[in-house]
Amino acid sequence: MSENKFETVSSCVDNFQHNESTFDDIINDEHLSATWDRYHLIGDVIRNDTPDVFQLDLSAEIASAIANEPTILAPKTSNVFALKFKAKIVELAKPFGQLAIAASAAGLMVLGVQTNVAQNNETVLPSQIVQTIPMVGTAQPVSLNFQQPDRASQKQAFIEQQRRFYALLSDHHQQIKLGSFAVNVVDKTKENTETDSKKVNEHNK
Amino acid sequence: MKLLSTSLLLLSISFSAVAEENKSAKAWLERLSSSLRTLNFSTSFVVIKNNQAQPYHWFHGIDENGAELEIISSLNGPRRDILRIGDVVSYIEPESPPYSVSSKQVSGPIPAILSGDIEQLESGYDFISVGRSRILGRPAQLIRIEAKNSYRYAYWLWLDQKSGMLLKLSIVTKKGQQLEQIQFTHLDVTNQLSETLLKLPSTELPVIIDIPQEYQQQKLQWQVNWLPKGFKQVNSNRHKISLTKQPVEFMSFSDGLVDISIYVNGTKEQQRAADYVMDGATLVLNQVNKGIEVSVVGKIPSQTAKAIADSITIKSPKAP
Repeated sequence: MSENKFETVSSCVDNFQHNESTFDDIINDEHLSATWDRYHLIGDVIRNDTPDVFQLDLSAEIASAIANEPTILAPKTSNVFALKFKAKIVELAKPFGQLAIAASAAGLMVLGVQTNVAQNNETVLPSQIVQTIPMVGTAQPVSLNFQQPDRASQKQAFIEQQRRFYALLSDHHQQIKLGSFAVNVVDKTKENTETDSKKVNEHNK
Repeated sequence: MKLLSTSLLLLSISFSAVAEENKSAKAWLERLSSSLRTLNFSTSFVVIKNNQAQPYHWFHGIDENGAELEIISSLNGPRRDILRIGDVVSYIEPESPPYSVSSKQVSGPIPAILSGDIEQLESGYDFISVGRSRILGRPAQLIRIEAKNSYRYAYWLWLDQKSGMLLKLSIVTKKGQQLEQIQFTHLDVTNQLSETLLKLPSTELPVIIDIPQEYQQQKLQWQVNWLPKGFKQVNSNRHKISLTKQPVEFMSFSDGLVDISIYVNGTKEQQRAADYVMDGATLVLNQVNKGIEVSVVGKIPSQTAKAIADSITIKSPKAP
């Protein structure tokens, strides 16, 4: 079926065709409208119009990737902190959806990229990855397919790195909160420590 | 001879003037610390970083028994509250179930040391009284806390001349670039406890976490060979990073104002160049060297973090 239709899409993208009904066809066909998007994307890349778009894309993707991550809400805790909390402060502490966390994570991530741009230019940025794709001359869908796995894996590595950063940052904040406690403990009598570890052991059971 | 003695006199006057100025800067900070501990106040402020503004409410007061009550809540996005009754501080945040710690320090957006013992900072920082300006519609005194060496950022504080309260805080690089700002948008100092704080004592706080001292002082098979002068080790432990479940060995250091966390763990990768991310003034560095992943987090310049990360050496392994 499609060779012909894709050509039609292509000529629409290039403004060679101004037939209302062709546009309608494209809009109504999921496959064709995806192609339409892709061709425009290719055009944008060739014209160097892309960076912002890609970062936004990416942030949405990160957010959804993290939202799908089952570990996030699982109360973390290495054994020592495996404690049960009373849920009685309901009024002040309501649980939050994964979405909220994902969104805040995404906020940092996009930002991380931007800061990296300003700070050192050698970091691999999504926009740079896109621009290095050799797409001179005829932009055939086939050549795009060749690049995709590579791009996807780089994107994956990037998302992975951003997740790592966010996890480190949030752990840092938590350790400070727990750490200030430990500093104060020093002032207390050392007899407490033994009972403390017993308590922790009990909690672990 | 006369000339010499005159110039000596002049010199000593100018020296004493500088000393006087610094003393007054310290006096300002001590006044701030006491105001933050003893006044009943309700304020709002915004933390400006990453081109975003995050608004907070902050209530503080003293109840009839002399215990400090405090609430700091973030107003946008997922709920982050810090509650404090006396020596119990509770953290309510989306990353983990609510918990309390037994501490006098509140780890929020405002550096805890500002309400603590300012003298702790004197060894690592200079206090400089810079001048007056107008902040939040009030006459304010600008005090700079400048690091004695260039491995740290400077903290600029604008203090209310009337109450001694904090009106604005900036974290500034050596070149004068502002990385993070806290701007107060409202300040009420009252004689009475605010309504919100009156309700606080009847709230049941989460259970206090008990952490045995030994847990925070574990011996690890690596060491940090370089840190900016003035940093002391706070903790060293092994734990899992909650979000990634990655087991890490951890050390934390503090100079009173700045906290640095260092994470070390093995990884499948052999080599990866250092990568940085900044969240306001807080830098996260991550690199892999010879199969060892090292991460440094803290409000420090990237060069400092890199130097710290590169100074880490693994001790020769011993039988456990």
